[in-house]
Parts: sequence; C-alpha cells; structure tokens
Amino acid sequence: MLQPGAQAPSFSLPQLDEGSRQFQQGKPALLIFFETDCPTCRLTIPYINRLAQLAGAKADVIGISQDAEAPTRELVEQAPIRFPVLLDGDLSVSREYDPQAVPTLFLVDGAGKIARTSVAFDKADLNAIAAEMLGEPFELAGKHDGAPQTRPGCVSRHLEPRADGELASSVNLYAERGARASRIELSDDVDPCEFCYLAGFADPLPVIPPTVERVERMLAATTLPPDRIVARVPPNYGMATVEKIAANAVMAGCEPEMMRALVPLIRAACDERFNIHGVQATTHFAAPLIVVNGPVRRELGFACGSNVFSNVARANSTLGRAFQLILANIGGARPGELDMSTLGNPGKFSYCIAENEEENPWPPLHTEFGFDRGQSAVSLFAAEPPHGVSEHNARDGRTILRAISRALATVFSYRFCFGWEAMVVLCPEHVKTLSRSGFTKDSIREFLFENTGIPIREYETDGGEGTQFTQLYQRATINGEECYRKFARPDQIRIVVAGGTAGKFSAVIGSWATGPRGSQMVSYPID
Amino acid sequence: MKTILVNPLDETPRATGIPARRLDALAGKTIGLLDISKWGGSFFLDQLEQRLKDRYGVEQIVRVMKPTFTKPAPDAVIDQLVNAECAAVIEALAD
Repeated sequence: MLQPGAQAPSFSLPQLDEGSRQFQQGKPALLIFFETDCPTCRLTIPYINRLAQLAGAKADVIGISQDAEAPTRELVEQAPIRFPVLLDGDLSVSREYDPQAVPTLFLVDGAGKIARTSVAFDKADLNAIAAEMLGEPFELAGKHDGAPQTRPGCVSRHLEPRADGELASSVNLYAERGARASRIELSDDVDPCEFCYLAGFADPLPVIPPTVERVERMLAATTLPPDRIVARVPPNYGMATVEKIAANAVMAGCEPEMMRALVPLIRAACDERFNIHGVQATTHFAAPLIVVNGPVRRELGFACGSNVFSNVARANSTLGRAFQLILANIGGARPGELDMSTLGNPGKFSYCIAENEEENPWPPLHTEFGFDRGQSAVSLFAAEPPHGVSEHNARDGRTILRAISRALATVFSYRFCFGWEAMVVLCPEHVKTLSRSGFTKDSIREFLFENTGIPIREYETDGGEGTQFTQLYQRATINGEECYRKFARPDQIRIVVAGGTAGKFSAVIGSWATGPRGSQMVSYPID
Repeated sequence: MKTILVNPLDETPRATGIPARRLDALAGKTIGLLDISKWGGSFFLDQLEQRLKDRYGVEQIVRVMKPTFTKPAPDAVIDQLVNAECAAVIEALAD
C-alpha cells in the first residue's frame, strides 16, 4: 500500500453518470476506496459526506468504487453518497494504490504527495484527516456519536482470491429489487375496514384500508421505485420494499410526505447496531423510541412541546404507528408470536417524539451523531416506558439533577448496574434552571454519572438480580455513602429536551441491554 | 367499483425445510447443549448434562455458548455444533 510521502499516481476513471474524470496533482484531495457491500464503508460514508461539505473548494473528495456501476449507483442513492464517485471496474487504480482493506483513505497534498492514510474505520484518523484538510483542529467523529471508536473493514477487492479472468463483482446485499406486493380484490359485500382487521393487517385499532389508489398517492411522494428493497426486517427478515412500506403507511394514517421520514427510519431500525431482532423478540419492556430532530419537525408537523409522548400530533402518532405496523407485518414480531414481551409497552402502538430544539440551549441529540444542526435526522433508542420525575421546588440545577439521579438508579432493576443506558428527557422549565446554574449537556451527564449509585448496604441483605455481578461494579462515595455506580460511563446517559413550557416534569427512560451485545442507539439523516 | 387492496404483509419467498427425524434413543449419542448466555444458563445446563449422561446413557455432550443472548447464533457457533456431529441439540436458557 502507498505510504505517506509517496507520490500519488495520477489516473483517469469513469465517473458515475458524468463521463470520465482525471486525477492529478494540483489541489489537495481525499481519495476513499470502498466496496458496496462493506458495512464499515457504509459506516464511514456519512463522515466523508460531512467532510466533503466542510472542505468545499479547499479540497476535492473523490470516492473510488471497486464494484460495478449498478451496485455503486444503488449505494450512492441509498447511503446517500454526496461526493463524486469514480468506477474502478478493472481495479487498476486499486492495484496501484494497493489498499489492504476498505475503506482506505488517502489524503493527497497540493504537490501530489500522500500526506496521510487511514485504513478501515478509525475516529482518531478521521479527526486527524479533517484537521489537516480544514487547517484547524476539528472533531469530525465525536467520541459519543454512537459509532465504535474503530471497526475493521473488508479485504480490498483486488486482493480477493478469484479465478483468472473473473470480473470483480460482489454479492449485493443492499441493491436487490423485490417482487411487487400482491393485490387483494374485495367483493362489494365485504367491509374493507373489517377485512383488514380479520386479515391480520392491523394492530387491534382500525386502519385505513391500503387501496391501490391510496398506496399510489403515497408512492408518488418518493422517487424510489416501488420494488426497491429498503431493508430486510428482523426477526423474520421480511423484505421491506418501498411499496410494502407505503401500504403500511397508508394503514397508519400517514400523509404521503411522511415517506420522507419513514424510509430512513426503516433503514435505521435494520442497522445491525440497533439489533431490532433482539428488541422485538425480548420478553423485556423495550420498544423502539423514535426521536426526530432538525427542520423536518416543522416541515412535517412533528410535535415537540406539551404532550410530546401523547396523542398530540398526526406526524408523531402516524410515523410511530406505521413503524410498528411494519415491524409486525413485515418483520413478523407480532404479540403472542415472536414478540413475547411479558408486560409489553404502550409505545408499541406508537412511540415517537421530536426534540424541542427551540427550548434547548445545548446542541440537540442528532449533532452528537455527527449531523449538523440544520440536517434533519431520526434516531432510535430501545426504550422502556417513560418514568416521570417531578421537581417543582428546586432553586438550582443540582437539586433537579439529584431528583433525576434517584429515578436513574431504578433503571432496569435497582441493584443491577452497568449494562444499561438511560435517556433523560428534560422539560423546558428544568432546562432553564439548569442553564441558569451553568450546566451544559456534558456537565449534566457527568453530574448524573457521578451522583447515581446504589448504596452498598442494599446488597448486604439477600441475593437477587444484580447482586451477583458486584465484582464488575465501580465503588464511589455519593452523599457520604458508599455506593456502586449505576452507569459505567457518562455517555450511557442520553439527554433530550422535550415537552411543554409549563410544568416541572422531566422523564427518565430506561433501556434494554446495551452496547455491542445488546442494542446501540442509531441516528440516520432525513433528506 | 371493486375495492382492490395492496397486500401490506410479508410476502418474501422462503424455502421450506423438512424437520430432522426424531431420535429413537439417546444412548451412545452425541448431544449438543447450546447455552444462549443468559446468566443462569450454566447452572441449568450442568444439571441437564448430568441427567442426560446418568439417566439416558448419552455418550458425549458438546457445550457451546452464544456470545450474546440478544442476537441470533453466529455461523461460528452453529459450525461448532455441526462439526461435532451432534445427533441432537438442546438450546436452553435460564435467567
């Protein structure tokens, strides 16, 4: 592989939809070699999109696909990729640069020398490359944005063993077209609403029958073809084509414009990090909580103020419901079948909030995943139902946070520490007091981490859940009492601002099992 | 006018499989025990292993564990059971 200091070979390759493109020295450039079926490449793309946007005219960002035109186009549309992509179909440029894995980034300076390289996914490398391109320190990949610090890539296509004469191609897991949905003709004496219920299309509430005309109106609101597979939905891995998504969106009562949010939401849910398979199949309370951020809140009418968790707005209720219908109808996790939750969760009808960014003096949730404030995004958290925290007498932020820390201590199970995350939904009145007391999002997280613990005396009485793992827990003195810390790290506490401007009620929402062995929060852009 | 609906349910084509033939006896067989890695699984499977050997004459037990109970078994785990040529596999959990 070419190393820093080496001259970057110039080349000419076909550019997707643009004829051909010459690469030669003269201007700083970032080359990214990728494959269309490499999950680590897909993880890296949003960071490179952002870097391309920030670099502007200062440097070129050029993608080099090691796959054929069709799968590359599919990835460019789906990811989406927002920088020019060249096609290295015969792998000649890959052989010259010789990356050992994908993605590999080569930063080339104005004199045509390789200044820096990065193999696979590495946040420190991304930040170093961003700093060099932008000419100042820049955190492109935040520590707590939900992605791992590093992740191995896939072997570069030119190093894959293959028979002589065989063309490079990949098993394309992302670009298949599915069959069109079947049509069901109802005779005049059948009530379509009752049919939907009896045919098992619905949650137990009535749905709008997905007539061909209604589904077509929904499809007209997206540029995606109806047979495009957006994702395979666990646990049954049913193919969620755009048409199937649209039919369920109709049933849930969505307006056609909601396809804009629903398609990225389904992609987010099927991201392996979120592990919707486990979230749907567990006996725990977990249900996926949707958090919407950015301008799309106003554009599609999402509520983020009073009653944010309730039946307050068509957008929140129908997006959440369409999502649940898709998980059951296409993913197969129906109550009593693959979904055997002991007590369930009222959020399985619909569980969708938007962040009240107007009342939030700190960076909103989606910026922690690397998005700009002006980018719309949808995030998912494997959530218990909300647990209210009332605090109307606090004169300073610390008193509010102490009240919240007591609720946080009970997440999952009182004495069970470390394996769980929590989302703290702060109401605007609490936010005002916290902000006046000088708190930031990070210092709130730190305070809650430092002050949430279970007294060790609680472990001395009898055995029980959480008592068998105390050797893994951290000890800390909280309010003069020896405790075990509830959380392993401050970033296990997520902060969201939502709710009405009257009332000092915040909420704590527990998680299901977290981290790589459970469900990790994900956030996807809405365009 | 007739009402025509778009089917909103999963219509993904799937291959059908035939269940393996049930065993007539356990004596002399190799049996796989798959622990899904919940906290109490090993206590339960220890008891099960002992009974299979003492009461039913099982010749060999192959113990395999999933890395996490929250996800399907990865291929490497399934391969261990396949390579051990188990006559049957019991998947078990205990909290």
